[in-house]
Amino acid sequence: MDQSNIIEIRDVGKTFPGVTALKSVSFDIKRNSVHCIVGENGAGKSTFIKILTGVIKRSSGEITLNGKPFAPTRVKEAMADGISVLYQELNVVDELTIAENITLGQEEHKYGFPQKSEMLKRAKEILATFDESISLDDAVGSLGVAQKQLVEITKALCSDCSVLVMDEPTAALSLGETRKLFQTVARLKASGVTMIFISHKLSEIFEIGDYVSVFRDGEMVGTRSLEGMDRADLVRMMLGKIVVNEYVPSKKRSDEKLLEVKNVSTRKLKNVSFDLHKGEILGFYGLVGAGKTEVSEILYGHDSEGEIRVKGKRVWLNSVRRALKASIALVPEERRQEGIFGLLGIRQNVPLMRMGTVLKGGLISRAAENKLADHYRDAMSIASSNREHKVGLLSGGNQQKVVIGKCLNRDSDIILMDEPSRGVDIGGKQEIHEIVRDLANDGKSIIVFSSELQEVLQLCDRIVLMYDGEARCIIQNGDDVDTDFIMDVVAGKDLGQ
Amino acid sequence: MDRIQHLLRTETQKLVLLGTLLMIIVGLSFASSTFLTVTNFTNVFLKVAVIVIIASAANMLMITGHFDMSVGSVLALSGILHAYMCKHGVPIELSILITCVVAMCWGAVNALTVAVLGINPVIATVGVLFIARGFAFLIARWDGGANIMTGLPMEFVDFGRELVFGIFPLAIVLMVLSLLVFIFVEKKTALGRLSYAVGTNIKAAKLSGINTVGIIGFLYMMVALFAGLSGVLQTSRVGLASPSVGNGLEFDVIVAIILGGTSMMGGVGSTVGMLLGALVVGFSSNGLNLLGIPFYYQSIAYGVILIGSLMLNHRFTNMGRG
Repeated sequence: MDQSNIIEIRDVGKTFPGVTALKSVSFDIKRNSVHCIVGENGAGKSTFIKILTGVIKRSSGEITLNGKPFAPTRVKEAMADGISVLYQELNVVDELTIAENITLGQEEHKYGFPQKSEMLKRAKEILATFDESISLDDAVGSLGVAQKQLVEITKALCSDCSVLVMDEPTAALSLGETRKLFQTVARLKASGVTMIFISHKLSEIFEIGDYVSVFRDGEMVGTRSLEGMDRADLVRMMLGKIVVNEYVPSKKRSDEKLLEVKNVSTRKLKNVSFDLHKGEILGFYGLVGAGKTEVSEILYGHDSEGEIRVKGKRVWLNSVRRALKASIALVPEERRQEGIFGLLGIRQNVPLMRMGTVLKGGLISRAAENKLADHYRDAMSIASSNREHKVGLLSGGNQQKVVIGKCLNRDSDIILMDEPSRGVDIGGKQEIHEIVRDLANDGKSIIVFSSELQEVLQLCDRIVLMYDGEARCIIQNGDDVDTDFIMDVVAGKDLGQ
Repeated sequence: MDRIQHLLRTETQKLVLLGTLLMIIVGLSFASSTFLTVTNFTNVFLKVAVIVIIASAANMLMITGHFDMSVGSVLALSGILHAYMCKHGVPIELSILITCVVAMCWGAVNALTVAVLGINPVIATVGVLFIARGFAFLIARWDGGANIMTGLPMEFVDFGRELVFGIFPLAIVLMVLSLLVFIFVEKKTALGRLSYAVGTNIKAAKLSGINTVGIIGFLYMMVALFAGLSGVLQTSRVGLASPSVGNGLEFDVIVAIILGGTSMMGGVGSTVGMLLGALVVGFSSNGLNLLGIPFYYQSIAYGVILIGSLMLNHRFTNMGRG
């Protein structure tokens, strides 16, 4: 087999005003291989793919394709040179037939009338090798996601694609469909196509990948052959060095179980069970897609099967207002979209989850509002010119403090915090961690969902490790915590119980 | 000094409006001999009153990021329904009550489609615009004509021509009342505060446990109620019900609201601003009429005001949107 490099990437970087998205990345992609790219969110994978496929222009560096310099400025140029992408969001038009989709944008005309093209003949042959049950005249809208992918792959092959980029192709597929896609991948490989495969699911990468490149914080950590590689090693490359420091156990932690979750399942979660003690900080940790967000959702407004108890009483938390009534409040993950009221001042933001705190005789009391706003501005040192400061104009960390303040004013016993310090600078992070700890020491129970192991290790008394929708195990935090073990578990290593 | 500077910075749009209004009034006083008369001012205020009564509720609705295109039709339907019932022996007070309830039902339809089912407000309320208008014509047809003007009881016009304390027309008193109510709602009640929150960030509002559907739905019903009441008032004042009145009223209402500084996207706005906007709309159209400007120029001017007010809004009111 030809083992030369089809693509060579040298010192490729991308800077946006004020941000470096990609720092001097170099690696080779071997001809006729399945080359995987992994990394947590924000690692730079998408930026790299966009550069390779001509969506954005690189700021520095060189790429060669088949030994020739390659610098596409538009997607069409990249396609003409043989690089096609299978996006997670499929680019098919449901209302058209498969044939029309395949020739879309490349129809052959004679005197303005469309002609039956050579292309369709090829398309028919290619499609038949994947799935004989699909006819070119079928409407794309009648196909399932997996079959739509086949249409896109066929389209790519028709335009002589030699490199096919697959961006999380299995995200929307069932298990059976994934198997079929993998067969297709094997067949494509046999026919000489090079594939770049992006996925968060490590098991898939080990199954079909030949090589893997790991991205972290906009940098290239390394490229390895997947043969004989250990899964935990890969996770270690993805997460980097973990510095464990300054964990202080919560002072008021008691044995009283405030929240009990027993065998709760959803489409994504499988039999998740855990409990939360009074005065405790419980952490949920796992890689992207492991199911952390889904756990926060079942406690705050989403349907689930199984049993959830608050203070021993069975509760149904399938609406936000029911969750609030059960004394659960959420600091959401997407601060700007889900947390703050940007056009309003701090004064108006803080009481919104419990207007009763500023009403006197049914009417809003400005004095009560001012007092409340000043209290939180002081207690959490929110850097702002005055209490009327529009929250949308505050820095990320201070916005987060307002969101936390709004949530605290609700005075719930259980506080869920989804990625409490994402997008917050180091100083703000420390302050927010202080606030969380103070809350626990005041007797509140807190669940932190985080994709930063460091954060979880600094804050939490116990940590639930998630993998593929399961709560794999719950560990006690402390000086002797074994980060290697944690990485093994979140990488999906069998615990052998 | 600080206070004045602060006022200049935060209330720029209102000050611009106030200046414009004064300029229009002073200019027209010189340009037209009939402008500064009691009759003319009464006419302007009667027209402005209808806009303001509906717009005070619609303004709060727009602050939540929603609007209602059906107000003109609901007004026409209410007027004709009231006249039809009175003509056919329903006591006037009962007829007013029934009309208001029916108007609120149209508001409830808007609440259902927009707030509960999540249909785009433009489409959903334009749907009601056509349906209500159709019913208005249908009722007129049942009565056997294009308008309902004959056979109405003598006391029919009393409600619309009522003078409070012997001098203030009821429409103007109701205008002042609706203004006061919504200034109060805006500044002192949870409903007002939560409306701003919903308009600023509806997703965050839902996650904060705010009853977004209830608030939006309630305001749709208030807007429809005020439109219905205005319909009754108008019909009863002129002693004639026509199914084609209130055509384009929704735009007068929206222009007044937007001119007043309320954002189409919600989260920003005030009742006082809306009043200034309505006065500018009222006086400028009165002025154009008095100066004998042909209707096509008026139409052009109206369009320019609409677009200009949005540009003004863009400049002053969307800082800090999340």
